[in-house]
Amino acid sequence: MRNAMRFVLPGVIAAALAIAPVAQAHAIVGNRFFPATIATDDPGVADELSLPVLSSFRTGDVPPLRELDVDGEWTKRLTRDLGVSFGEGWTRLKGPDGQTANGFQNLETTLKYQALTSPAHEAILAAGVSYEWGGSGADRGGAERHSTVIPTLYFGKGAGDLPDSLDWARPFALTGVIGYAIPSRSHEGVERVPDVLSWGVAVEYSLPYLAAHVRDLGLPEFVNQLTPVIEASFERPTNRAQGRRATGTVNPGVIWSGQHFQVGAEATLPINRASGRGAGFVVQIHFFLDDLFPRSLGKPIW
Amino acid sequence: MRQTLALIPVLLALVAGPAFAHARLIRTAPRVGSTVRETPSELKLLFSEAIDPANSTVRLSGARGAVPAGPLTLDPADRRVVHLPIPRALSAGVYRVNWRVTSVDSHRTEGDFRFRVAP
Repeated sequence: MRNAMRFVLPGVIAAALAIAPVAQAHAIVGNRFFPATIATDDPGVADELSLPVLSSFRTGDVPPLRELDVDGEWTKRLTRDLGVSFGEGWTRLKGPDGQTANGFQNLETTLKYQALTSPAHEAILAAGVSYEWGGSGADRGGAERHSTVIPTLYFGKGAGDLPDSLDWARPFALTGVIGYAIPSRSHEGVERVPDVLSWGVAVEYSLPYLAAHVRDLGLPEFVNQLTPVIEASFERPTNRAQGRRATGTVNPGVIWSGQHFQVGAEATLPINRASGRGAGFVVQIHFFLDDLFPRSLGKPIW
Repeated sequence: MRQTLALIPVLLALVAGPAFAHARLIRTAPRVGSTVRETPSELKLLFSEAIDPANSTVRLSGARGAVPAGPLTLDPADRRVVHLPIPRALSAGVYRVNWRVTSVDSHRTEGDFRFRVAP
């Protein structure tokens, strides 16, 4: 994978530098800016880099393991509405006896198309397909040997078209995602590998939206750049599993959005014992490459 | 490998200084959603980025439609600030400001807000 990236990346950069279409907005639809959410992918297609995404929590194993993940994802727009992402992660597992195991996860690539954009209704609809390259990660870090295809739908809707009497609610927005993971093998040795349905939503209250479009309360600029958010993400095996119980987390947090990057932090609260033990956390730094490099790497290739 | 990855955010943060971005509306006069007793002499909009006036518009409208205003000018001391003179007195009511601006790096953004005149 790393060798492939070594050859592909310079070509992509050269193409981006050579071709210079007009810059377009990233995840901005009319008045609405959809920040990059952490547990659920936002519906926009943009030139962006999430690095690092740090998370720590106790797993649902018996006894539970302490898991630390360091993830990153780079997205490049091929056209204004079509992007490709490369995601990679590193995991460290620590047992109650202090023993640790660590390694890289499988590479995941995603092709995503922003099919509908309605500025008047602050709405986005996108469709994508992800491919997890089985065997590209390390067994000791828990990476699967089989590959997985995940067709996914993404949506986002701002509440800016509410009537004047509900002005206070106009900063609200809802984004969501639903995907279906189909493994390349039904068994891994004696272990059954199920199809998995995953879904999630993020409810946001945008203080930038409040200040710029509804009512400027005279709050400090730092506060006007905050978006409180509650995310919830779940998954559930649909076949070949002993139990078909859903697992997931509910994540309350906040995102600060600047001109060139954003920082998000959330608590991760498991919905049941199979989802984990106690609260964990996740922190994300996310760069807007189209703002950092508007005339080169941050532009669509075509 | 891990050390190399850790350096990427630092490098991006270092190059962020001279880059440009989408123009975000930061402050306005009159304030977004406010009520004023007298007709303001102008609309003043402060953005987060320097604006290209040739490719930017700010329009004022009320219950009876478009209100004559302008021309749009940039503040010579701060190219993030645009001014739109209002030559005539506004009658009581709610007014909407629609803005569509292009930052100097060609990123386009748009939006709207309202204020009320209540003499």
